[in-house]
Amino acid sequence: MKLPPLHHNTPATLEEALDLLGEHGDEAKVIAGGQSLVPMMAMRLARPAQLVDINGIASLAAMEDRGDVLAFGAIVRERAAEKSSVVAERAPVLAEALPHIGHVSIRNRGTIGGSLAHADASAELPAVAMVTDAHVVVRSRRGERIVAAEDFFVGHFTTSLADDECLVEVRVPATLPGAGWSFQEVARRQGDFALIGVAAMVALGGGGSIDTARICVFGVAERPLRIRTVEDALAGAAPSPEAFEAAAADAARDLEPPSDVHGSAAYRRHLAAVTVRRALTAAAARAGVPG
Amino acid sequence: MEAVGARSIGARVMRVEDPRILTGRGQYVDDVTLPGMAHAVFLRSQVPHGRLLSLDVSEARALPGVVAVYTGEDIARLTTAAQAGAVSGMNLSPDMKSPSFHSLATDKVRHVGDPIALVVAESRYIAEDALELIVDDIEMLDPVVTYEDALDPGKPPIFDELEDNVYLTAEMAFGDIDAAFAEADRIVRASIQVHRHQPVPMECRGLIAAWDPSAEHLTIHASTQSPHMLRMVLPDQVGIPIESIRVIARDVGGGFGLKNSVTREDVAIVAAAKDLGRPVKWTEDRLEHLATAGHAREEMADLEAAVSADGVLLGVRMDVKVNIGAYPSDPFPGAMQAYTIIMSFQGPTRLRALAGTSAALFSNKATYVAYRGPWATADFLRERLLDIVADELGIDPLDVRRRNYVVRDEPPLAMLTGRPFAGVTTRESVEQAAGLMGWDAFGERQRAARREGRYLGIGMASYLEAAPGPRVPGQDGPDIMGYETAHLSIEAGGQVVIVTRQQPHGQGHETTLAQVAADELGVRFEDITVRYGDTDITPMAIVGTGGSRAATMANGAVLHASRELRGKVISLAADLLEANPADLELAAGVVSVKGSPVVSLTLAELARVASDEPHRLPAGAASDLAVTRTYDGGRSGWSGGTHCCIVEVDVETGIVSFERYVVVEDCGVPVNPAIVEGQVRGGVAQAMGAVLLEHAAYGEDGQYLAGSFMDYLLPTTTVVPRIEIHHVQTVPTDPDVNFRGVGEGGMIVAPAAIVGAIEDALRPFGVRALEQHLPPARIVELAGTLRPR
Repeated sequence: MKLPPLHHNTPATLEEALDLLGEHGDEAKVIAGGQSLVPMMAMRLARPAQLVDINGIASLAAMEDRGDVLAFGAIVRERAAEKSSVVAERAPVLAEALPHIGHVSIRNRGTIGGSLAHADASAELPAVAMVTDAHVVVRSRRGERIVAAEDFFVGHFTTSLADDECLVEVRVPATLPGAGWSFQEVARRQGDFALIGVAAMVALGGGGSIDTARICVFGVAERPLRIRTVEDALAGAAPSPEAFEAAAADAARDLEPPSDVHGSAAYRRHLAAVTVRRALTAAAARAGVPG
Repeated sequence: MEAVGARSIGARVMRVEDPRILTGRGQYVDDVTLPGMAHAVFLRSQVPHGRLLSLDVSEARALPGVVAVYTGEDIARLTTAAQAGAVSGMNLSPDMKSPSFHSLATDKVRHVGDPIALVVAESRYIAEDALELIVDDIEMLDPVVTYEDALDPGKPPIFDELEDNVYLTAEMAFGDIDAAFAEADRIVRASIQVHRHQPVPMECRGLIAAWDPSAEHLTIHASTQSPHMLRMVLPDQVGIPIESIRVIARDVGGGFGLKNSVTREDVAIVAAAKDLGRPVKWTEDRLEHLATAGHAREEMADLEAAVSADGVLLGVRMDVKVNIGAYPSDPFPGAMQAYTIIMSFQGPTRLRALAGTSAALFSNKATYVAYRGPWATADFLRERLLDIVADELGIDPLDVRRRNYVVRDEPPLAMLTGRPFAGVTTRESVEQAAGLMGWDAFGERQRAARREGRYLGIGMASYLEAAPGPRVPGQDGPDIMGYETAHLSIEAGGQVVIVTRQQPHGQGHETTLAQVAADELGVRFEDITVRYGDTDITPMAIVGTGGSRAATMANGAVLHASRELRGKVISLAADLLEANPADLELAAGVVSVKGSPVVSLTLAELARVASDEPHRLPAGAASDLAVTRTYDGGRSGWSGGTHCCIVEVDVETGIVSFERYVVVEDCGVPVNPAIVEGQVRGGVAQAMGAVLLEHAAYGEDGQYLAGSFMDYLLPTTTVVPRIEIHHVQTVPTDPDVNFRGVGEGGMIVAPAAIVGAIEDALRPFGVRALEQHLPPARIVELAGTLRPR
């Protein structure tokens, strides 16, 4: 479990980093917290010839409340966001998701941007990005793009980032006042990758019916999935246990999750239904639906 | 933690090992660097079963920084193939067919991870780079994975020289089994499985071998539980005589039985070091470890019990199968479980007759090794059977245990195997555990919880732990692990030195042996040093630390040696002070005349006279302040106890959580209660891992599926609850030594208590748990709560 030969670059500015990425293309890999990339290199599952280490780029270190969005620079640590009262207040679903990521020592190094760029299909933060309709800002020598989460995640470990692009910022919209949220996952142990997870938001309209529902299920496909047919069906419905039970069954029915040593596809599909129901129920309670 | 007061035994003395280990100053094998040392890595098979057609190492050999690449052909030239157990004589067990094999694959690969080639390079990095340049050509063979595969005559034999995959068969009978079945009111049957899981010490395997060509002498730095075992096993294979081998083991980061064997990698590394004439280090990484270091417990039994109407086991017939993987471990082949599971089945019950057959079977899996309580499946089978009997007869499982467990000093006074039930406190521990847990009131809570959709369950199990336990009357001589020898001496500065053949790897012997000596000698605890882990100074022992024996055997040896040394000290002081020995006392390292403390000699003064001024001693007086004492175990009793737990099962997700876990144990007189409790908690944690998380799983195709810590899940602090530990009053069986082993007790009994509790929680779903491993996916399946699509 030793790393293969590689060159470790430590650019001091974003421009230098983008130059390196432009120069080396698919030979290069950006490293921030390294909590996924380093083990993969040690197991020789990933072998970039050039590492572009962005930890020294001060301009990527900011965490800012910009009113409608919270912006996280590419090297903001998960632990910093977890301890932020601003995040807890303005993006509570993110705050609720963060403690599920590995352990404290992992979150001390791991970054929010890195988790999105790594795009592990059973990771928590891509699902949070999807349920909040977050955007990522990516830069290259060719310019800047702002990409919606929906368009960013392509598959397991695959995003729409080009080889010469670097994720520089994550923009998470602040939660609408009155909206309830929930983040739930089933893992074999605290801190493990989820067998199944759900991020959900529920906002009520006039008369107590559901105005908007959002459901993102992760760990069940190549990328986190928004279940939009079920979201649409819930809009306008009364927030009853029966409605959530039916929504959960509908959300899980067409999933084709993976099978592995921890559980079969059928087990994961079953967990998806259980977890969607629990997440909608918890989100609705936070939105003011009496328990 | 308590300061050491007047009496050291029984005090929660802080471990003297801990400052070193907790500040990162322990010295493990990988911390040792020798001049000119090269680094080794093994190329390992990716396929479970195949014929090795060709191996091209030319590119790897040519990589700059590579020192050498060894193939199976090279190893066959440098070493001699061996049968596992040749040193212990276990290769000659009746009804056993022992294969001979080399440390690297020569003709075939027999499991995923089987070493094929050995690369030695200037760094581990270069060695791993070179691995990628080796090209092998392996013709796949039909894999032998399950018990059924191993018994299928249509499957290829894993070792060509043997006609099939049956390693050993055994048959044993005790008591009149036919009479027991004739008398039975009821026959209860169950087929019970324990799954393959593994010890997983924090420190993986590893060694450094350094050959001195001029002195023709081998020094090995090893991560081992048994330094002398390497000296005993290696000579026949590597051609170096035992007297030319020194083994050094400083800190060892856990073993749990896994490091009580000499592995194929050990042999290959020694061969390479001797061939190269420079030190070679191999540090196993976790991927290698999980796939190849050794697995345990893949065992099953078909049980048939003759039971009376009131739930008493009269007789049991059992048919046991053990899946021991491809290469038997050396010098204690895992096949021995075929005997011990039958021999240990009775536990603390009054069973009248037992008849067992068993088979140890080869498969294309990693080597089967000893794991904390190697006979643990016997306890699981017995306790599961008691729960099943309770369920089938509609009797409270607590009452079934009351009716089956022996009562102290009432017949039977011995097990079917002849071992006496001396000082057994099982019944006392059962009552204490039931009382602590509120067993009788639990049913009402359980029903109330079910009405809220919550599923609580309670489970109980009891055990006896032979560590070493009472001898069968008439038994002469030691068992395979031998008697225990300790050297005690007083050094020039008055420091007492204990040299033990124990090889601590987490137990805290530096602390506990010193506690025993402090009391017996009359010396301050901090003035005693324990030395171990260097075969140049330690007494010979095939097993250093294993079998939970140190409590009785090593403490016993130290206790008796301390008394003898104290006698020598008093005698020498009496000569010098011209006093009557009966008038002298030794306390805090000072000998003085009772009532006249000014007339005294320190141990340092006595040591100086003994070494430098022997002319001051009367003629014939012993002039050395040293003692070597061998201890036979005395009239050792049993360790034992009862575990009881309450779990809650989320029947929608299958996740299990512990509400409460209570241990009531009797390990005799605890030398250091904090260390005893640590042993118990560690064992229970491993059992929680076994039931809920840990599975060394293979696919039907023989691929290994648990190759990293993302797939092989260990219990963490969020899984393991607070474990309450209570002590039953010990019944002494020996006039002097009533310290009893505690290393294995937690691990052997806890799985049955936990599985019993889960089954109880799932009772509304009609679940019977016939397997030890109950991960969430399986619980949902058993409970039938999995939703249809």
